[in-house]
Amino acid sequence: MSIEGLEFSILGPAFIVGLMILSTHVPLGQEVLKRGIIFIDLAIAQIAGLGVIAAFRFGWEAHGWEVQVAAMSSALIAALVLGSLEKRYQQFQEALIGITFVLASTASILLLADNPHGSESLKDLLVGQILWITWDQLLPVALVTGFILFVWFGFRQRLKHIGFYVLFALAVTNSVQLIGVYLVFASLVIPALGSVGHKNALLTAYAIGASGYGLGLIISSLLDLPSGAVIVWSIAIVALLVKLLKKMSVKLSDEAGGFKENMMP
Amino acid sequence: MMFHQGIKKVWPVVLCLLLSSNTVFAQLNVFTCEPEWAALTRVLGGNGVKVYSATTAQQDPHHIQARPSLIAKVRRADLLVCTGAELEVGWLPLLLRKSGNGNIQAGQGGYFMAADQVALLEKPVVLDRSLGDIHAAGNPHIHLDPYRIQQIAAALSATLIKIDPANTHHYEENLQSFTGEWRQAISQWERQARALRGKRIVVSHNNWVYLEQWLGLERVAVLESKPGIPPSSRHLAQVLARLKQRPADMILYADYQNNKSASWLSQKTGLSVVGLPFSVSEKEDLIHWFNRLLNQLSGAAS
Repeated sequence: MSIEGLEFSILGPAFIVGLMILSTHVPLGQEVLKRGIIFIDLAIAQIAGLGVIAAFRFGWEAHGWEVQVAAMSSALIAALVLGSLEKRYQQFQEALIGITFVLASTASILLLADNPHGSESLKDLLVGQILWITWDQLLPVALVTGFILFVWFGFRQRLKHIGFYVLFALAVTNSVQLIGVYLVFASLVIPALGSVGHKNALLTAYAIGASGYGLGLIISSLLDLPSGAVIVWSIAIVALLVKLLKKMSVKLSDEAGGFKENMMP
Repeated sequence: MMFHQGIKKVWPVVLCLLLSSNTVFAQLNVFTCEPEWAALTRVLGGNGVKVYSATTAQQDPHHIQARPSLIAKVRRADLLVCTGAELEVGWLPLLLRKSGNGNIQAGQGGYFMAADQVALLEKPVVLDRSLGDIHAAGNPHIHLDPYRIQQIAAALSATLIKIDPANTHHYEENLQSFTGEWRQAISQWERQARALRGKRIVVSHNNWVYLEQWLGLERVAVLESKPGIPPSSRHLAQVLARLKQRPADMILYADYQNNKSASWLSQKTGLSVVGLPFSVSEKEDLIHWFNRLLNQLSGAAS
């Protein structure tokens, strides 16, 4: 146990970025769950990484915003391809996403066969660490988040397949660099799954995600463990508790209902 | 009741002790990146320093996971002691930026990079990315050469004095006694390692250069064709062919790394595999660690 990491200036930026990412990933995650394409974030992130490696390989030494351009444009291409695949071969979509993921990962191994510097940028893109986030990084994240929320809640009805995939690629390419693949996957899928069947599923999912991030950051400080991994676990545990509570309350109200019926004269 | 009264009487005394101990030893908080520098700072700083190491001997200093306490420790540090030469480039700049601690930023008095104090081997003449994961500044694994450690010790002691001039006498004394013991240890190690001179070794990763140079080991082959990249089958075939022409005596690898490639080669060639401790383990000092390393190395060679 140690309380020395328990400082707002250390955990604050991480928590706020977590909330911003949740605000977009929870509704996107519900959609992903509905379509049954939960591994799409891994595929998109891997392809974003592949884009950066390819840029290195073909002699373009991207830095800073150029890396973002390379990552984002390859993620968008992947989104377009996956979107049109879903239209045509909907029943195989999950398998196609899986195949895209392994092809992208192995393509980066092949491209990296003689370029380890690319492997550093691949790691940078895939294993962002939430604790390294500083206050000055919040503004760009807020802009991307605001844009996604605006499109999602403003024009959702008009978003076609492709529109969803493009928005998703934008969200994931941005968040994976900040908090890493594991935490992105957890933020997308766990709150969405934990809130299935609730009256206000979106609000429940937000609550699961936010308390998961908050508890995870505090626990990782107290136990001095890597924060990203602890948050993944705490989101999962919170979601499980919510499920159990829901089950218990359903049972109780059933029993109460049954009791009332018996009492009826 | 008795217990509570006892506590009440003891409290002020404890408090006084705590306060006074704080004022007598205004300890410097030192944050080190690798355990070898933690051990060195502990010897040179003595009671004057409180040392924390970001990694242990079982960790790869190239990569670490972000933990809250790590940032808290850096934030409070008066002095940062790391290897430098791009070894920690993957995380130290991020950690420093996040800490917002002005004393230990690059170029400040509390920023000490061991690699800046000594000449580095394998400094590339031309920087070519196609050559692999090479460090522009040179090979950073300097802590395997006791002479370089001695140079670094002198520079580190001077830095401690600059930051904490009130304890100058204390730091000078520590450096003197360390240097004495270290010189003695070196001559004993060199006597012990005489039999190792000219031994031919295969290494899995090119992180033993300074040890090779010091002990006169001859590196016949490196299993990774380019540092940081897993070997291709053609490269492994070349290594096997070279070993047939010029047999080696043993295969070395750092025991925190995985030994798959080393055991593969050992099965093909029958050479013995030696996993050496790459750094100081907990509650061990530099001399013990070098003793352990040399004992294992001479044991494997004889």
